[in-house]
Amino acid sequence: MDIVVCVKRVPFTQEVDLEIDRSKRFVATESLAHVINDWDSYAVEEAILLKEKLGGEVTAVTVGSEDDEEVLRRALAMGADRAVRIESGGMPMDGTVVAGILASVIRNIPCDLVLTGVQADDDNQAVVGVTLAELLGLSHAAVVRGIEVSGADIVARIELEGGVDEIRRLRLPALLTIQTGINEPRYVSVMGIRKASKKELKVIDVKELGLSQNDLVPPTEIEEIYLPADTGGAEMLKGDPSVVAEAVIDIMRRKGVAL
Amino acid sequence: MIEMLHPAARTYAGIPGYVFGWLAFSVAVLFFAHVMRKRYILLKAGRADPRLEKIWERLKGFFVFGILQRRQPRYLWAGIIHIVIFWGFVVLGLRSIDLLTQALGMPVLGLLMDRSAEAFYGLMRDIAEICVLVACLWAMGRRFIARPKRYEGSSHTEAYIVLGLISFLMITDIGYDAIGLVIEGGNGDNFAPASGFASLFFQETGPSFLRSGHALAFWLHILAFLFFLCFLPMGKHFHIITALPNVFLRRLAKGSVKPVRWDVQGLEEIEKIGVSRIEDFTWKQLLDLFTCTECGRCTDRCPAFSAGRPLSPKSLTMKLRDHAYGMFPLFGRSPAAGDKEDADEEERREIFGNILTEEEIWSCTTCGACEEECPVFIEYIDKIIDMRRNLIETSNAPRAFNQVFMHLEKTGNPFGKPPSKRSAWASELEGMSVRVLKEGDETDILYYVDSYPSYDPRAQSVAAAVVRTLNLAGVEFGILGPKEKDSGHQVRRMGEEGLFQLLMEENMETLKGIKFKKIVTTDPHAYNTLRNDYSIKFQVLHYSMLMNSLMEQGLLKPKRDVEPGIYTYHDPCYLGRHNGIYDEPRRLLKSLPGLKLVEMERSRDRSFCCGGGDIILWHEISSEKERPAGIRINMARKAGAGVIVTSCPFCLMHFEDAIKTAGLEWELKVVDLAELVVSTL
Repeated sequence: MDIVVCVKRVPFTQEVDLEIDRSKRFVATESLAHVINDWDSYAVEEAILLKEKLGGEVTAVTVGSEDDEEVLRRALAMGADRAVRIESGGMPMDGTVVAGILASVIRNIPCDLVLTGVQADDDNQAVVGVTLAELLGLSHAAVVRGIEVSGADIVARIELEGGVDEIRRLRLPALLTIQTGINEPRYVSVMGIRKASKKELKVIDVKELGLSQNDLVPPTEIEEIYLPADTGGAEMLKGDPSVVAEAVIDIMRRKGVAL
Repeated sequence: MIEMLHPAARTYAGIPGYVFGWLAFSVAVLFFAHVMRKRYILLKAGRADPRLEKIWERLKGFFVFGILQRRQPRYLWAGIIHIVIFWGFVVLGLRSIDLLTQALGMPVLGLLMDRSAEAFYGLMRDIAEICVLVACLWAMGRRFIARPKRYEGSSHTEAYIVLGLISFLMITDIGYDAIGLVIEGGNGDNFAPASGFASLFFQETGPSFLRSGHALAFWLHILAFLFFLCFLPMGKHFHIITALPNVFLRRLAKGSVKPVRWDVQGLEEIEKIGVSRIEDFTWKQLLDLFTCTECGRCTDRCPAFSAGRPLSPKSLTMKLRDHAYGMFPLFGRSPAAGDKEDADEEERREIFGNILTEEEIWSCTTCGACEEECPVFIEYIDKIIDMRRNLIETSNAPRAFNQVFMHLEKTGNPFGKPPSKRSAWASELEGMSVRVLKEGDETDILYYVDSYPSYDPRAQSVAAAVVRTLNLAGVEFGILGPKEKDSGHQVRRMGEEGLFQLLMEENMETLKGIKFKKIVTTDPHAYNTLRNDYSIKFQVLHYSMLMNSLMEQGLLKPKRDVEPGIYTYHDPCYLGRHNGIYDEPRRLLKSLPGLKLVEMERSRDRSFCCGGGDIILWHEISSEKERPAGIRINMARKAGAGVIVTSCPFCLMHFEDAIKTAGLEWELKVVDLAELVVSTL
């Protein structure tokens, strides 16, 4: 089974005091570390697991700059056979534009299955996967947390709300957006990633794709980003742990917790 | 005096004795040569490992630890027995070779020695024989009656066979000499305690019995000797041949870890990283396997084993040795030759799943107690790390490590906290400012804080104490702040060599941009890795060393007594065993007013690891019965201590946990040395 898996490089924001840049339209990310989007890591692992079981080839695709090749090399180190980066030239993009770019490339890659992450850590829009399915004319399932292949079909376990799952059978070719927890992504060592740089990594300029101006102008635009205003209701307890503990107990009593 | 021919010169069924001598000798030598050749082929299958640098240091160690057997009496009685047998062998080896040349009809020694030399050697021999005989009986008695726990799992059968064989060699030789004395009509003026005494039993026997007895003792001795020779390389008594070379070829670079490959520069060029099959080890690592005597001192001292983890260094070596011998059998085809067609055989070559479990390999704390104890310098840490390297590379390490490694790669600390907050602790100190160094800056002391003391609240207070002390002593110092990355000590020992190299290169790049005289670290692990692992050799001190010298120079002046109590000092593995820093922390402690210091039974190079600063933080060994730190705090109590002082943030945290878990807060406290020093200033 030949699989295309889409990946994105995102800023690593754990415990970072995020700052908004001067334009007030973006979060300042230059000084942040970047990692593969968590969901995409599971999508790559799922693609490799399917490949190990059924054979075929895995192609990893991203849209971005040279820095973003890092996540492709990671995918190659995990076991992808080749990688494609679409050079975006730093133009402003949203999920719809990215899906359009990806569609124009993936259309030319023969494959049975396209995998993406459910969403990306940075903007959390969850737009690319489903839009891409639409553009490619593929049947799709979103928020998938289990895959089984049976003949020409794929059986996906889809996470619904409230702890309910749905099992859906899709005709191949199809697109699935992968939920975290579907597998345990393997570790790729620093050396493994360096070694993977020997594998094929193709760069396509977005201008070569013959997309119209209409395809490349984001239909949505961020007007402003701001930090939420401080609100009341939070009380910071300070001091010796024993004092803090007593204060916590006191608050709980006042709120009516039976102790 | 009875007329008699030498046993080798006599004829047996018309055939001269030396013909039988040659026959037995040829069979034995051929067999011995065959076994040695097979062992050599196995050794040759291993990877490169240069072991001939620093010849003088090697020779010195060879003499002290090989010839003088300095490590043997660490276990007193067993050590004495071994030294007696070893020296007996040295004295009697000559005798056995002499008898062998006689058996071949070409005696050499008799021609080389005059009468007085012969008499002297005869006396030496007699004394040695008595001593060895007593030592062998004692050794058998210990095994049979005292049954030391460390011998569990060792081959007792082989031990009894060999001890019996040695005793037999002694008895036959004494018998041969004793009958010889009777035949010659007394021993003249020569004093021969063993054979002289034994000859009393043969005074009344007739000439024909004497002749037969003489020949029997001679030939039995020869046959036993040749059998012994062939028996050696088959089992643990191979150490009689390999121990001295193993001591000479021992690892000299303490504290460090071997490179992935000695013969390939650049990790990218290495096709297979780490060890998963026997021939992935280096030849010296294989020689270690030949050399193990199954004495079990390593396991006896192993904190992982004591805590009920599935690791026993002795059994690790034995299992690998048996596997190696199985892969390179004495007879028949070697499975290690490889047969791609035979998937089962390919599978059997793998160490994991067949010989060792992954948990065994993750159990090790790299504390080095086993290596410190081994009388023949068998190495464990490098082997274990080589196997870990393979598990990491093939993504077979515990999943919990993935995130830790990712954090270290991306943020330079295991928590994934932002580098911008690395020096936040320093800006929160009251009444003190800490200089954060920038490229091009100059300072006397570069204080390398490392990750835990930078981010972990408990360890931060140790860093604060170090800074306070440096301030009070008027030392000019600075920290790297956000530019400092984790030292990489943990990841290297966890087997992620590529990540270690990355962190090391980044840190060295930063350090190169700053002018400083010395680096001071909070953590013994950082001290060890900067000192022994990094490819640039910096002058590195652990804070305990700097504080001690500041104290001795009078730059630190304690004003207050320490809190009353009985203190004991716990040697962190990477300060003590791996770097030999035992005295500085103790001198520093003794300079603190009012401090009463007691030693735990296991201190200095026998210190018992707290559990370590790496794997234990992220991976639980499920079969563990007790935390190593829990065992250690009881050792402190046994020594009568109320306060454990340590100089490693990980020991500090593990002991605090252990004390809380055991509910001993009212009886036992733990304090970091830096905090203790500050409390007196």
